[in-house]
Amino acid sequence: MTIVVYSARRILTMNPNRPSVTHVAVRDGRILGAGSLDELRGWGKVEVDDRFADKVILPGFVEGHSHAYEGGVWKFPYVGYFDRISPDGTRHKGLKSIDEVVARLQAFEKTLAPGASLLAWGFDPIYFGGRRMDLTDADKISTTRPVVVVHSNFHVANANSTVLAKAGITRSTNVHGIVKDAMGEPTGELQEMTAKYMAYRAAGVEVAAVLSDEQAVWRFARVAQLAGVTTATDLHNELPESTVDGYLRASASDDFPIRLLPAFAAGSVSPEQGIPRLQGLMKKNNDRLRFQLVKIVTDGSIQGLSARMRWPGYYDGTPNGVWNVGPDDIDRLLLAWHRAGFQVHVHTNGDEASEVAIEAVERALMTAPRWDHRHTLQHAQMADAGQFRRMKALGMCVNLFANHLFYWGDIHYARTLGPERAERMDACATALTTGVPFAIHCDAPVTPIGPLFTAWCAVNRLTASGRTLGETEKIPVADALRAITLGAAYTLKLDEELGSIDVGKRADFAVLDDDPLAVPPGKLKDVGVWGTVLGGKVFEAPK
Amino acid sequence: MIPFTVIGGFLGAGKTTLLNRLLRGATGRRFAVMVNDFGALDIDGRLVVEHGGDTIALANGCLCCTIGDSLVTTLLALLERPDRFDHIVVEASGVADPGRIADLAVLEPRLRRDGVVVMVDAGEVRQRAADRRVGDTIGRQLAAADLLVLNKIDLAEDLPGLRRLLAGHSAAPILEASHADVPLDLLLGLDRRGQAAPTETADAFTSWSYEWVEPVERETVMTMLRGPGRLRAKGIMRFADAPERRSVIHQVGRRLDVSDDGAWRDGETSRLVLLGVKPVLGSLQRE
Repeated sequence: MTIVVYSARRILTMNPNRPSVTHVAVRDGRILGAGSLDELRGWGKVEVDDRFADKVILPGFVEGHSHAYEGGVWKFPYVGYFDRISPDGTRHKGLKSIDEVVARLQAFEKTLAPGASLLAWGFDPIYFGGRRMDLTDADKISTTRPVVVVHSNFHVANANSTVLAKAGITRSTNVHGIVKDAMGEPTGELQEMTAKYMAYRAAGVEVAAVLSDEQAVWRFARVAQLAGVTTATDLHNELPESTVDGYLRASASDDFPIRLLPAFAAGSVSPEQGIPRLQGLMKKNNDRLRFQLVKIVTDGSIQGLSARMRWPGYYDGTPNGVWNVGPDDIDRLLLAWHRAGFQVHVHTNGDEASEVAIEAVERALMTAPRWDHRHTLQHAQMADAGQFRRMKALGMCVNLFANHLFYWGDIHYARTLGPERAERMDACATALTTGVPFAIHCDAPVTPIGPLFTAWCAVNRLTASGRTLGETEKIPVADALRAITLGAAYTLKLDEELGSIDVGKRADFAVLDDDPLAVPPGKLKDVGVWGTVLGGKVFEAPK
Repeated sequence: MIPFTVIGGFLGAGKTTLLNRLLRGATGRRFAVMVNDFGALDIDGRLVVEHGGDTIALANGCLCCTIGDSLVTTLLALLERPDRFDHIVVEASGVADPGRIADLAVLEPRLRRDGVVVMVDAGEVRQRAADRRVGDTIGRQLAAADLLVLNKIDLAEDLPGLRRLLAGHSAAPILEASHADVPLDLLLGLDRRGQAAPTETADAFTSWSYEWVEPVERETVMTMLRGPGRLRAKGIMRFADAPERRSVIHQVGRRLDVSDDGAWRDGETSRLVLLGVKPVLGSLQRE
């Protein structure tokens, strides 16, 4: 078999025995060795490939918490505040005012077939100085077809008059989630279940399939690949047959650029049905598709005011959030999947949710002791030092939502958490000192997929307004890079197979234009991604 | 418009027991029942006509479907089915706010919001309501109820105290029951015509029908509806202050809707059916 040796300006391996080398040899899609060219020639005849000679190679990035839905939404126009790169590599400029959003959608509207609904996503009015979108704005886009502009948090949407009229929503409609102005008239802003219902009503329930079909999986894989990701999770999916078919077809292709790990939505069916179902799906695993994860969603989100918080709760006095799955069911589901041998990922945003999940793991371990379960808290944004110590003692992992610091840090500081808890949220340094194995994530499509940006957030802890949120929770660049590679692989139980550049592991690389350890930490997010290598196959990102 | 009822209540309150009774009851109505977990239902295999993974069709015309991960898409998919149902019943999850779910029927022109029935476990509710992690969830559920069913009263230690606890959270009338044994007509309404008296009425409850040939004073009817012991009402009225209009009355527990239903039709009479607690309606009869 051919041995290809890639030379590079520098190869950061995440292998402490040889942290930095210049050459990596690949055979059969796996890493034969990392070291000097002379050392690698010892394996036999090699082909030296110098195309990365001026690049820096890292282990392929592992995105431990994202959703393939990211690929689904790119079917629709993006109208967010920040620049965002679509699966074809195009940079979509952020829209800096409501008028810019309206203008963009007016232009898009002209391309739609008569009668079709207009759906857009990513809208984020929190940067517009308090001004919200209203019916006057939405009706400028169209008054003849339904228009729904979904916000970046996916829990709020703006609709036009056409949508409201179809549902008979007026000033006298008394339903939670219909925002009204000072005069009592609906503004077109819709929240939570009302927003979701109206969006699906406008777009047709078949949109649910479009959001997770084979093409959506492809778009997700491409947008991940552009960011240097070689392994990504679709971390919460009911796994209906249509979605599984899409995964299987997409991952069967050698051109599919990532390894995909869906997590089964444990709350969607009883464990008695779910466990055999997932065990059956695992028989279909291939090199690029791995069924093995399970996820339980406990609470909502902090900025959505639906996180379950311990005393003293929200800084601005908002009542405590809501359970998606309540404490009793968390216990029941976790124990059942734990007993069946699965690793369970538990979404917890608020610290009460984290507490409940930690205690559920503790009880499961008392009932059914198990080694190396690696049950992982996902987000755990408000976890304090005590909770980290409990996680450590119980053998748990954590995947922290470092991107949140940038996108919502200002709001957490001013309104939801207050300064003290905002400064210690997504406590990477505490994870590090406590010894809880940790990863950091983006939760795409909630924030764009981009591990280098996530690492930049964990290193610099800057909010969108430029505030440093918690000097003492900053972590060094090297630790942040580990968290997006080997650290994330550990939380997925894939660390023996990928996550570092070491003999025998899969030849999955992120190829960068610069050395992330050499650039100033403040520039980490600006390091260019040339492309990736997956199992020895090179995927150049479009320029 | 299809009536839409939400059955809420915390884990173990008896929602599934109630749904089993509903599916077994030969009410002659075609129910579509959305549940969290098929496995908990006690469905006689001989009655299953079709098992489609996420749906089970029964010989009596009823359909069960699992909610899975999304109530919204499950409901929309149900409404897209060619089958016609007389009533849609949703089992809220044990931690959901059933009022929010009932809101969907207000947004959906094909549905009419019927009622929010919240089941309460008489043996557990006091402890649950005091729990710092779920107490507020329980409070929200109770506050959302149009009708409360205080279930498992055989397990209650202090029934008067429980009644006070519930009254502190909710203005909804309380039905007391064991094994979720409640007259279904009280929870889910009369048949679609709303004219006939219910066929199944437990001893403690009764119904009373009224008919007026001439227009009726609105306040007279409102007084009848607001009094204690009234649990459900349905009527088509010609009010004296709007004699040219059909006014439709729909009451579930504490929730009373009066809506306009077009022009009054010649030859019709005003009709009202009340369901409630027997002694109270007994006194109405004497009036």
